[in-house]
Amino acid sequence: MTRTSVSSDAFDVVVIGAGPGGYVAAIRAAQYGLRTAIVERGELGGVCLNWGCIPTKALLHGADTAHAIADAGRYGFDVPAEVGFDMQQLVKFSRSVVSRLVSGVSALLTGNGVEVIRGSAVLSGKGELTVTADGQPIRELQADHIIVATGARPRVLPGITPDGDRIWTSTDALSPKKLPESLVIIGSGAIGIEFASLYGALGTEVTVLEALDRVLPAEDAAVSAAVVRQLRSRGIRCEAGVTVGTVTADSTGVSTTFTVAGGASETIRSEHLLVAAGVVPNTEGLGLAELGVGFERGFIAIDEWCRTGVVGLYAIGDVAGGPCLAHKASHEALICVDHIAGAPGVRQLDRWFVPRCTYSRPQIASIGRTEQQARALGRPIEVGVFDLAANGKALAQGEGIGFVKTIFDAESGELLGAHMVGPEVTELIEGFSIAHGLEATAESLAEIIFPHPSVSEAMHESVLAALGRAIHSMPTTAPTPSQTRTAQLV
Amino acid sequence: MAEIRAIEIPKWGLTMEEGMLGSWHVAEGTSFTKGQALCTIESSKIANELEAPFDGFLRRQLAQPGDTYPVGALIAVSAEPAIPDAEVDAFIAARLGLPKQTADAPAPVAVAAAPAPAAPPPTMRPAAAPPAPAAPQPGELVVPQALAGASADDVRATPRAAAFAKLHAIDLGKVSGSGPAGRVSISDIEKAITAAGGQLAAKPEFARQQVRLRSQRDDADVAATPVARRLAAARGINLHDCRATGSHGRVCRADVEEAIRKLDAGQPAPAVQAAVAEVAQVNEATAQPLTPMRRTIAQRLQSSYQTSPHFRVNTEIQMDAALELRAQINATVPGVKISVNDLVVKAVGLALTRIPEVNVQFDEASKTVLQFADADVSVAVSLPEGLITPVVRAVNKRSLGQISAEISDLVTRAKAKTLTAEQFQGGTFTVSNLGMYGVTSFDAIINPPQAAILAVSAGVRRLVVDDEDQVDVHTIMEVSLASDHRVIDGALAARFVAELRSILESPAQMLV
Repeated sequence: MTRTSVSSDAFDVVVIGAGPGGYVAAIRAAQYGLRTAIVERGELGGVCLNWGCIPTKALLHGADTAHAIADAGRYGFDVPAEVGFDMQQLVKFSRSVVSRLVSGVSALLTGNGVEVIRGSAVLSGKGELTVTADGQPIRELQADHIIVATGARPRVLPGITPDGDRIWTSTDALSPKKLPESLVIIGSGAIGIEFASLYGALGTEVTVLEALDRVLPAEDAAVSAAVVRQLRSRGIRCEAGVTVGTVTADSTGVSTTFTVAGGASETIRSEHLLVAAGVVPNTEGLGLAELGVGFERGFIAIDEWCRTGVVGLYAIGDVAGGPCLAHKASHEALICVDHIAGAPGVRQLDRWFVPRCTYSRPQIASIGRTEQQARALGRPIEVGVFDLAANGKALAQGEGIGFVKTIFDAESGELLGAHMVGPEVTELIEGFSIAHGLEATAESLAEIIFPHPSVSEAMHESVLAALGRAIHSMPTTAPTPSQTRTAQLV
Repeated sequence: MAEIRAIEIPKWGLTMEEGMLGSWHVAEGTSFTKGQALCTIESSKIANELEAPFDGFLRRQLAQPGDTYPVGALIAVSAEPAIPDAEVDAFIAARLGLPKQTADAPAPVAVAAAPAPAAPPPTMRPAAAPPAPAAPQPGELVVPQALAGASADDVRATPRAAAFAKLHAIDLGKVSGSGPAGRVSISDIEKAITAAGGQLAAKPEFARQQVRLRSQRDDADVAATPVARRLAAARGINLHDCRATGSHGRVCRADVEEAIRKLDAGQPAPAVQAAVAEVAQVNEATAQPLTPMRRTIAQRLQSSYQTSPHFRVNTEIQMDAALELRAQINATVPGVKISVNDLVVKAVGLALTRIPEVNVQFDEASKTVLQFADADVSVAVSLPEGLITPVVRAVNKRSLGQISAEISDLVTRAKAKTLTAEQFQGGTFTVSNLGMYGVTSFDAIINPPQAAILAVSAGVRRLVVDDEDQVDVHTIMEVSLASDHRVIDGALAARFVAELRSILESPAQMLV
């Protein structure tokens, strides 16, 4: 037995990575009075705050402004045909929002007594890690509990190597030197569609290429169809079932050769190409495999309490598997730390009910299963749809486009899924999250009073439609065999 | 001061609903001064001393140590010896809503320092008796007869109002409620009492802590103006004790002066203070009242050391084989990280089942020794605010890996303060390990009602002479078993440590 000195580098909890998973875990641990440190090699706040959720929302606010100006004629404004726009100014605004939030995270961590250690962490043994900075080891830490929250980074496709100049990752797309004339986007998940909407609104000629059989492949088929219709009407080209051939970048742009399923090969020329084909976890160089950590499709394998199977080692957020969303990471942080601390009543994560939001125009928000996935359960379901063309508030703000779809278990009345397209639906989806979390049935939701006029009324009508009694839609003659009750005004 | 005054269970904190009387510090028939500790009262959250709210003479103790009473319940009566017993009895009867003692009935003989006359617990239901209308004391609750009675079950009332009505035998059906659906609140009852000619109890006043504590933290980082910093240093004021009102949140001169005024106001004798200030080096002391945790530790360990005759048996254990086993397990099983303490706890569990006479608790009251089938081992965990001993249950039946995981979990819970009572109560034996601090030898105080505790020191590399006079280097760990001689004899203790040594020196037996 070696004599171990009680040094200042012995912690109860050490978190690796200060993104929305890591910093939340560290603050929660410190709230319990546990001695906590967090190791970060880059900026506090992680990708979400610095290169993801927040800066894109700031840029999209600019896109909304562009839309408002373009649309202003409808409301009687005489807007000149040529309105000046400085992309650099919009990027500057976006970065200012980021730096304000980053300093907020720093203050929260130190204010809660978390020690912030700058550098890269390598696990050197069970409960031990080495922090290096500039290639030199600077600290040896011991901790009873180590939480890996190193996140993920954009996936690189073979033969399409991002160069930061012509071929972009989402990070590059956040700070362009100028507004590009044209942009090809590979991938049509939330990130691809947000950038398509953003650059499309600002005036860039955008082409979206999706390998799977439809755009927004993770969303309900009705959502995909509605959004594609909208994007196309704004001049954004959307192709699904695409096989990308060669991509060649030169000093003036990118040539992309691709085939749409069953069609001829085509080559398009664009100023830039953005690869938005998902993310890969940051698991390298941490010493995980050496300790016996297991992996599932590249992500760290964890149990319901975020344990890796190696004593005292946990993983949360993107590095521990999808959905790769900031709020899922933050929620796992709370589950993991509450469980470590022995708090009573901790509930495990229900991955289906992590809300999914895409901040495009129109906005998309969903929780639970798509209609197709719900049908695959093999249980009787009830589906209600309400179109925003019959929603007064949406029409009054000039955005009567979109719908609310709800899917209930016909037997238990449980909400299986909710899918929304339309104005500010990302702010509304939480209503369905709460309903599901509190185990509301379709009938109990029908009893809730929704304010008038509001877009949220469409949520109510959708539930009523699932029950076969929507008010603001024409009655259907007979229930369809599939028990789908649509209340769409066509 | 011919006055009869009530002493009640205080309300410490919003959630406190009842308090348990710990012990009386002032005997019946003695006088007390304002601020003196009358008794100890424990709520679910804290145990604290009830300070006398006034100067008085403790005439009656009505509450029994160990019994629990609702907040506001009468636990004692203060009255000068000159006041006749009959008046005191009438006062108590009025408070408890009991029938008034008839004038010619013989007054109970109250002998000073004798046990209190069997006081009815406050939860006792009075037999719908009218409260004594005569001579209500100022500040005492008098329930008018019009409101007296028992409430029907279906009367809507706030929990506090219901408890109050039950305590004072008020029929809530006779009180009109102002809350939703006619719910009766405390203030409704108070209004009804006043309206019907009754009298409300005066709100008890509690003496606030008078002595202001001085901070001892390093104040170098506190933002302060140069004048304020110099003045504070000269007057022995810690800048943490100053409210910062200056620009940019800095402590300014006025703040230091205010702190001097306030801190000095709390000092008993300014003259002495001035004299001390002239001495070049002042050794500042701060008064830290014991936390409830420290109080418990102090009380339990003092009692243990005073009542149980401790003796120690020490031995040295060669840990080489155990350390090798540990290294092998840790190198090959990802899900487990065995510490030396885990090995010791497992070995103790095994030794306790082999020598069950040590796996005991001693019930002092009944002079009984309880011998247990399983070894529930308490593990001492040091926290900034004290010591806690979570229990690893049935160590004899569980694997080394399970024990290791459980201890790690219990230690984290202890630090996060999420241990439940079941997790730290009970236990048949305690292990206290100071090895991680490099301590080479120490002994421990028994954790009652257990009868023995093992003090485990650090392993150190030492030259050892074996039976063949060969000298070799071994890792030696000293352990010291403290036993209660009322229950465990020297030879038994020696057998136990020998068994423990043999297990740790041939550790494979812990794996089966």
